[in-house]
Amino acid sequence: MQQGGGSGKEVTWEDQQNINKFGRLNNRLHELEDEIKFAKESNDNLEDASNELILTDEEVVRFQIGEVFAHVPRDEVETRIEQMKEVTSKNLEKLEEEKGSVVAQMAELKKILYGKFGNSINLEED
Amino acid sequence: MASLSSTAAETTTERRGIPGAQFVEDVERYLTQSGLDVNSSLSFLQERLQQYKLVEMKLLAQQRDLQAKIPDIEKCLDVVAILQAKKGTGEPLIADFEVSEGIYSQARIENACSVCLWLGANVMLEYSCEEGTALLQKNLDNAKASLEVLVADLQFLRDQVTITQVTIARVYNWDVHQKRRMREAVTAEKDS
Repeated sequence: MQQGGGSGKEVTWEDQQNINKFGRLNNRLHELEDEIKFAKESNDNLEDASNELILTDEEVVRFQIGEVFAHVPRDEVETRIEQMKEVTSKNLEKLEEEKGSVVAQMAELKKILYGKFGNSINLEED
Repeated sequence: MASLSSTAAETTTERRGIPGAQFVEDVERYLTQSGLDVNSSLSFLQERLQQYKLVEMKLLAQQRDLQAKIPDIEKCLDVVAILQAKKGTGEPLIADFEVSEGIYSQARIENACSVCLWLGANVMLEYSCEEGTALLQKNLDNAKASLEVLVADLQFLRDQVTITQVTIARVYNWDVHQKRRMREAVTAEKDS
């Protein structure tokens, strides 16, 4: 991803630290993207589950806890799913927020590093 | 390497057995002080990089293990919590459980006062629900703490990888530069 300053430009410890930071943020960005994808998926699944729950006539549904399916009355499942939805959507919000800040910080670092090294540094994904 | 500390920034420490990469301020001075020519310095750095990559793979595997373990423990905690919640109510917990892959049977759990935790090494121990929860919670906290340490280790390691990569690129570029200058000097001499 990185190429050291080529023609004449000296790389200082400060530059190196900026490059390190950029690399770290880039890694975090990828992790966040995965986590966001995962959180969205579980959010959708919970959404599907609560929709199905509205349609079903059964009074007692099987609700997976750990490895077993417990027989749980429908309204209790409903509240549980609502709670779970709340937790995941809050989590998703937090992740999106962090992603925003990571992207902003990366843009800032890009400005600094491209400003100094111009074409001798490449900060883009292949 | 130790004699080079004058050109290195002072932050080259180590972390949990991972040696810190040394930042090179001035390529020329680095080469003269280490007594290496360009090629041997490059191969030294490449070797370092490979070692870092190896450690990175090991740490990533550990991270994956822990990341799988944490939801497992959370699931166990959920089940114990359900058992505990049912305990006082007098109604049994009816659960379908997997007997074998794809085959389910039904269990009726009445007033469960204890849970058996598989401790590993062919040992299972019976705990009261409270003790079981406490133990599981402790395991969960431990797993989370080790994951945190591991993530910090990985970050440190990746910094060292980046530093080494940058150094490799700079030594290489310096060499290219140097050769070009030498060629120019030779042609200039011929011309004169």
